[in-house]
Amino acid sequence: MVDFRISDEQKLIIDNVRRLIREEIRPLEEDLDPDAFSLPPSEKDRLVSMVKEMGLYQMDVPTEYGGPGIDIVTRTLVAEELSQHRAGLYAPAYGVFGHGPPGQLYNATDEQKEKYLWPVIRGEKSAFFGLSEPSGGSDPARAIKTRGIKDGDDWVINGGKLWNSGADTADFGIVYVRTDPSKGREGISAFLIDTETPGFRVERLVQVLRAHYTTELSFTDMRIPSQNLLGKEGGGFALANEYLSMQRIPYSATGLGVAILAHEMAMDWAKQRETFGQPLANRQAIQWMLVDNEIDIRTGRWACLQAADLAHRGEPFRFESSMAKLVATEGAGRVVDRSMQIFGGLGMSKDLPLERWYRELRIRRIGEGPSEVQRIVMARDLLNIRSGS
Amino acid sequence: MRIRKPWTPWDNSIDYKTLPGAMGVFEIADSKQKTIYIGKASGKSPFGLRGELFLCFGDKSDFDGQNWIHPRMGQPLPVIREHAAYFRYEVNHMYYSRWIEILTRFNEDHGRLPTGNLEDSEVIPKLGRYHWKTKESGTEN
Ligand SMILES: Cc1cc2nc3c(=O)[nH]c(=O)nc-3n(C[C@H](O)[C@H](O)[C@H](O)COP(=O)(O)OP(=O)(O)OC[C@H]3O[C@@H](n4cnc5c(N)ncnc54)[C@H](O)[C@@H]3O)c2cc1C
Repeated sequence: MVDFRISDEQKLIIDNVRRLIREEIRPLEEDLDPDAFSLPPSEKDRLVSMVKEMGLYQMDVPTEYGGPGIDIVTRTLVAEELSQHRAGLYAPAYGVFGHGPPGQLYNATDEQKEKYLWPVIRGEKSAFFGLSEPSGGSDPARAIKTRGIKDGDDWVINGGKLWNSGADTADFGIVYVRTDPSKGREGISAFLIDTETPGFRVERLVQVLRAHYTTELSFTDMRIPSQNLLGKEGGGFALANEYLSMQRIPYSATGLGVAILAHEMAMDWAKQRETFGQPLANRQAIQWMLVDNEIDIRTGRWACLQAADLAHRGEPFRFESSMAKLVATEGAGRVVDRSMQIFGGLGMSKDLPLERWYRELRIRRIGEGPSEVQRIVMARDLLNIRSGS
Repeated sequence: MRIRKPWTPWDNSIDYKTLPGAMGVFEIADSKQKTIYIGKASGKSPFGLRGELFLCFGDKSDFDGQNWIHPRMGQPLPVIREHAAYFRYEVNHMYYSRWIEILTRFNEDHGRLPTGNLEDSEVIPKLGRYHWKTKESGTEN
């Protein structure tokens, strides 16, 4: 039986994060644009210092790289707290807890780590992730058309990518390229590509439902030195290591944080708002919506914590992490939707954060592996089917 | 990428009621049709684009007694007060990212932001790079 009781140490960390979100971040948001995703630099610097003092900066970085050594269960609990503010889903705490490097970089060579991993940990560089293309994102092994051809010590890369968040501001990206067209998954390699490389071009910013846009990229005769091949040639997908799958668990819990806050707001409102002579909270139709909210939140939390617990104990957790992503994300979407219904007209307005979460949670069912792909992963495990079939 | 609409002079021929009260983005130009400000009517703008445009041109026209300015909107920037002559806008519910897109495009083409945005106290998120310029580059439009 899994024990979900919170230890004193976990409680201390959660309380610190909660206080920062409620007492620092939420008041600042009152003066920001309802769709803002960054803080004024002076405020950000001030809060980063506070987080460093708490010992929680760069929470996602393993201890051997100087991180604070937060285990995956605690990290999942913290994720629920971090997102409990307007911008929380896609900009939890506006990044004042630091941005860990992409997990693939832990598999880099020492030279690559020096140039890319450490500067990200120090907050000097940022990265984008270049997998999806116009030809598709769910099944990249078949869809990737961007082509790399070896030329002496270099690779010459032509093609393009779509949906790359942050590529216009990033210093480099991890870009998946077809280096052997005769092979499927084994024909894809990952490259570290500096955005200043000649031939790299941001074609346009792609506007989506949330305020933070994505990009469309083109690569024309981009010459990349062999030293920038990440992992082995043809081993691009092998880089999707355990660390990366583990990160999916707190990512899923982030959606729950938003749902918890929406639910709290809806409960307060239901108690205050009177119609036909009684508070909404006295009506069974509303009570059932609130109960369904609670069920979705608890189900999502259990799914996330079970996945985190297995990962923490070193047991297989692929099925459970996909389930956590699916259950928490879809459940959070329903919670926000019901909460908006309880607020009536106010739920639709930009005076409240609900409409923003509603839009952003819709994206969550596509990004980081769409719901259908999570089901495909789970079905493979259930039926013992090899990946790629 | 930039707003693809011709500049409209702000004068008495405008039927103010046709200016949308919706969220969106707008550009303000001087009498030579050079962009001096790229703005947005956000989820907090009391009268949407109409209000933001009224604020920019506030002391320049007779509004037939109409007032679409709210105390919460503050004062127009000095450069706008002195030089605003033309405007163009786009209704857009994703006004925030569209605003960043137009600022990014301008910044890439001209190597700097419009004068009004440089004067403005609103913090602009870190702008990215396209690594290429449009034919508007250097024309300031
Ligand atoms: C806001 C946003 C940010 C993003 N950021 C990034 C990023 O930074 N880097 C990056 O590389 N990508 C990014 N993506 C891309 C994202 O990962 C892809 O959109 C996603 O993987 C789906 O790929 P697709 O859009 O090509 O849909 P497709 O692969 O064409 O799939 C279309 C639909 O069919 C479903 N489907 C696919 N196969 C099956 C099947 N076998 N059975 C049933 N249903 C199926 C999918 O789930 C999806 O709903 C981002 C996307 C968005 C919207």
